[in-house]
Amino acid sequence: MKILVCIKQVPDMESRFRPNGDKTWYDESDLAFRMNEYDEYAVEQAVQLKEQLGGEPEITVLSIGPERTVEAIKKALAMGGDRAVHIRDDRYYQKDPWQIASMIASYAKGESFDLIFTGMQSQDRGSAQVGVIVAELLGLSCATTLVGFSYDGGTVTVKRELEGGIKGVAKLKLPALVTCQLGLNTPRYPTLPNIMKAKKKEIAALTPAELSGEAELTATAAIYPPAKKGGGLVLEGEIGAQVDRLMGILKEKTAVLR
Amino acid sequence: MDFELSQDHKVLRDSVREFVEKEIKPIAMKIDEEHMIPDSLVNKMAEMGFLGSYLPEEYDGAGLDMLSYAIVVEEVSKACGSSGVLISAHTSLACGPIYTFGTEAQKKKWLPALNTGKVIGCFLLTEPDAGSDAGAISTTYRREGDEYVINGSKIFITNGGYRGTGVLFATSDKSLKHRGVSAFIIDLNSSGVEILKNEKKLGIRGSYTTAFALDSVRIPAENLLGQEGQGFKIAMDTLNGGRIGIASQALGIAEGAFERALAYSKERKQFDHPICDLQAVQFKLADMYTRIETSKLMTYKAACLKDAKKNYTAESAMCKMLASEAATYVTKEAIQIHGGYGFICDYEVERMFRDAKITEIYEGTNEVQRVVISKILLS
Repeated sequence: MKILVCIKQVPDMESRFRPNGDKTWYDESDLAFRMNEYDEYAVEQAVQLKEQLGGEPEITVLSIGPERTVEAIKKALAMGGDRAVHIRDDRYYQKDPWQIASMIASYAKGESFDLIFTGMQSQDRGSAQVGVIVAELLGLSCATTLVGFSYDGGTVTVKRELEGGIKGVAKLKLPALVTCQLGLNTPRYPTLPNIMKAKKKEIAALTPAELSGEAELTATAAIYPPAKKGGGLVLEGEIGAQVDRLMGILKEKTAVLR
Repeated sequence: MDFELSQDHKVLRDSVREFVEKEIKPIAMKIDEEHMIPDSLVNKMAEMGFLGSYLPEEYDGAGLDMLSYAIVVEEVSKACGSSGVLISAHTSLACGPIYTFGTEAQKKKWLPALNTGKVIGCFLLTEPDAGSDAGAISTTYRREGDEYVINGSKIFITNGGYRGTGVLFATSDKSLKHRGVSAFIIDLNSSGVEILKNEKKLGIRGSYTTAFALDSVRIPAENLLGQEGQGFKIAMDTLNGGRIGIASQALGIAEGAFERALAYSKERKQFDHPICDLQAVQFKLADMYTRIETSKLMTYKAACLKDAKKNYTAESAMCKMLASEAATYVTKEAIQIHGGYGFICDYEVERMFRDAKITEIYEGTNEVQRVVISKILLS
């Protein structure tokens, strides 16, 4: 079995975010980076499947981004990936999900992966499109927002998170692509011995030029922080009247009392 | 000259940091209150490879380098100085000398269990009347057939309470001073080894500090580490490396306290403004951060020199001195920034203040470090 895990390195969400000079992305000078949280679930699930199958599957980790992306790749290798592909692209942030998915599909086409794991979405751009577009381009069966995964004899059974707290179960034939959601598993810590072993694993470098490139369909016009709002609503007056007003607001504007 | 960590070291640092945030930080206060690091945490740190970071893979170590080890101890100590010194004393003072001075047979026998944390290591040098004057130890050994017989007592043994594997120093003849000292590997479950007590302390309360009585303890002759009479050299060389571990521990304690003080200074409002708007607080933060960064540079430099197999004696003494003094300074100022809250246990900087003090004392007092540095300058 051949498994592909697509990961992205994203800014740590505790960083301070500011738009860059041309207002199309973040100013990266203030940012710390880490592996996209949802991609950690993807890596963990792939490694668990490899362990379930006695180590037979080969796990390839793929990521697109600048030089620093190698840090996220190495973490995925230390968690149990076997080899990696780094598509070195310093202008990754100017590409829309269609272009990113096209690059991944262009690489994966010749590799005949049986199963592809991705995160449900990236924490920075949050389009949640890349995984499903890759599945479409490669003609794979696809399930999104996984909170459960099992594999038995060529069939993948997934548990999906639906609206309103409802769960759904789906069965997929291989080859398939799945996108992973919070709650699927608890990603393991890379141990020191595995960090050492990861140093010896292959990281193949590709450039976007080596993959068939598509033109963008969606161009980012601008990113900006929202205008500062006033400091909320302060209820005053007699306590009973305050409670009535609060109840009214909660009923009118939220779902908590429905 | 490049002051950036390599990508591999960043991956390591981030992984250790994640582990520490989730597994150690939430229980650091409990470790201090209960004077005990839970076995479950020791086991988790062992699984992470924290107890054999720079020892080679052929002896079940992680095979990383000294800089990686320094980062591990630093990151762990940011949350818990007790756990930091457990790793430091175990790795630098037990795994270290066995790896450096042991025969191949000794390394194969003792290192895998130590490096994987199945047993915890310690270093038995200090005695009631021999602290900084380590050549004055009076625990004796004598050869009897295929065994050495050890008699005496040891105090202040970090990790002693685990009764694991120790590197023990004893003399054949006290009048020979340091020339009479030899080093041995000892299984602390041997008959005749008695724990007199585990000390109660100002800080690093989760770490064992143990007093031992050694009453006709018989250890196989094959457990002699290095040559007879080489013990003092082994002790000094070991402490030389160990200082990098203690510097890393002190650095981590300082950073932990600084992170809290910085965050608190932004949250705490007085006179209608966060107190970080006050220059009195700003200057404290600047001084604290400067001492931390200076200590970090010297600690990492000492580790890199050791990795490059260059002489690092002065640097290890300087980093231990700098980082420990940064730790006592920064933790003290962190309490001051917290005001009355800093004096309360819940805010944790008081624990860090207590944990910091020992770093100026053990693995050679800072006075001894100054002797080491000035000797090199004047030799």
